[in-house]
Amino acid sequence: MDVAAVQSLLIERINSGVLVVDEECRLVYFNRFMESHSLLSASEVIGKNLFDIFPDAPKRWLQRKIQSVFMLNTPAFSSWEQRQFVFKMRHARPVTTSSEYMAQNITFIPICDKGTTEPDKVGIIVDDVTDVFFYQEKLKDTLTELEHVSRTDGLTKVSNRRYWEERFRVEFSTAQRHDHALSLIMFDLDKFKLINDQYGHQAGDLVLVEAANLVENLLRKGDLLGRYGGEEFGIILPNTNAQGAAELAERIRRQFSLLKMQYEKHTISATMSVGICECDSRFTRFEDMVTRADLALYQSKREGRNQVTIYQA
Amino acid sequence: MNEITLTEEQRDCLQELINVAMGQASDKLARYLQTFVHLQVPYIELIDSEVLPERFAETYAQEGVSLVSQGFYGEKGILGESLLIYKSHDAHGIAEILGYEPDDVSEVEQLTDISSILTTTFLNGLAEQIDNQLAYSAPRVVSSMETPLEHHLQQLSFNWDLALKVDISYQVVDFSFNCDMVLLIPGEAIKNIQKVLDQILDEF
Repeated sequence: MDVAAVQSLLIERINSGVLVVDEECRLVYFNRFMESHSLLSASEVIGKNLFDIFPDAPKRWLQRKIQSVFMLNTPAFSSWEQRQFVFKMRHARPVTTSSEYMAQNITFIPICDKGTTEPDKVGIIVDDVTDVFFYQEKLKDTLTELEHVSRTDGLTKVSNRRYWEERFRVEFSTAQRHDHALSLIMFDLDKFKLINDQYGHQAGDLVLVEAANLVENLLRKGDLLGRYGGEEFGIILPNTNAQGAAELAERIRRQFSLLKMQYEKHTISATMSVGICECDSRFTRFEDMVTRADLALYQSKREGRNQVTIYQA
Repeated sequence: MNEITLTEEQRDCLQELINVAMGQASDKLARYLQTFVHLQVPYIELIDSEVLPERFAETYAQEGVSLVSQGFYGEKGILGESLLIYKSHDAHGIAEILGYEPDDVSEVEQLTDISSILTTTFLNGLAEQIDNQLAYSAPRVVSSMETPLEHHLQQLSFNWDLALKVDISYQVVDFSFNCDMVLLIPGEAIKNIQKVLDQILDEF
């Protein structure tokens, strides 16, 4: 076999799509890879217009792309990351990947006839990068999952302290900058140690989860509940003054005190003490609000628990 | 490694080749884009890999920039990387310049498309001047508005000490679009391009 024959055999059988079009975008060449993935035979597409054969292709963009190769005599590229595919085709991993169509990296190459410097054809090479696409998607999902896990409290599924404080820092500086209202509710389960001692730690865990669920369901969009530590939680309330926070806190306190929690054969009730602090222009850090809400919370405890106190300067 | 220097003749020769290539590129781009593309006189220097991130950071300090990279390689050991740098406010008119339908093309794709066109058109012209043929890797967005350039540059480590750096600014006046192209020809490839330049100088 001579070299030219070997070359044409290789191009015919290579594991990438190879197409050639002329200046009118008529197909001149269509290799076997293209045939098997597009389910079209070379004999039926040769001489036809590329856009008639692939009616789903982004016509305007692709025309300009091919035109650039002819006019500038330079290669052009398309990447799956920006455009998952140009030629809608099946791929070779229908079983183990989730994507329906072949993800493609494409190279457009100017082809000049011997002795000329103006291209009269454009070669289009289509690489199947479905695997890359697939792994990238998986990576993306994993990162999203990881991000979720890293900001969630494992037991109660509300925001963990790290993330909650991160968000609080942002809300605090936004509120201060735009002079918006911002309030903080801190609450702590009353006599939590007794529940643990009486029914065991799993019962204590159940109470924490039930409390978090109940509160979560009473919040408005934009409010953020976080587990501050142990049996203490915080709620960030953007665009809310102390009175609005107190109304919400009272609703939470009351509903929780009425909640009957079932643990094995025990019915458990619990209460919470609540402290509220509204943001003040003199505060410089969000921690200033935490300290003051905590003071109010302790006052609730001191005055008999199961009540709401607003911090007064 | 640092004993490489560019003689005055070599620099003038390269400057001249680049000027011719720029003229050709400007001409071709005007035909394809149907608008006048102005290329500013290039700035050529040898640069130490250690000062490169600093230099970038200085030049593009205040603004959010996007950076697109495209590798090129040719015969006689010529190779390098072309970096296209866009300031944030420039990124909008590109689809219009390229003649795309609005909404047809994502912003990142507009950037990679225009970058590839500017890079390959200019470099093909330069390659022709030195009787070379270049091939290119696909353009890739290295950093975008969301990931600051400094942040990205800090993570770079180079496997070369010195690079030949060519800065060219592009302006598309009708669309008030502009961007900077930085060609970097690193390490050994500098010597290879010097050989080519010497050969051209000898033939004169």
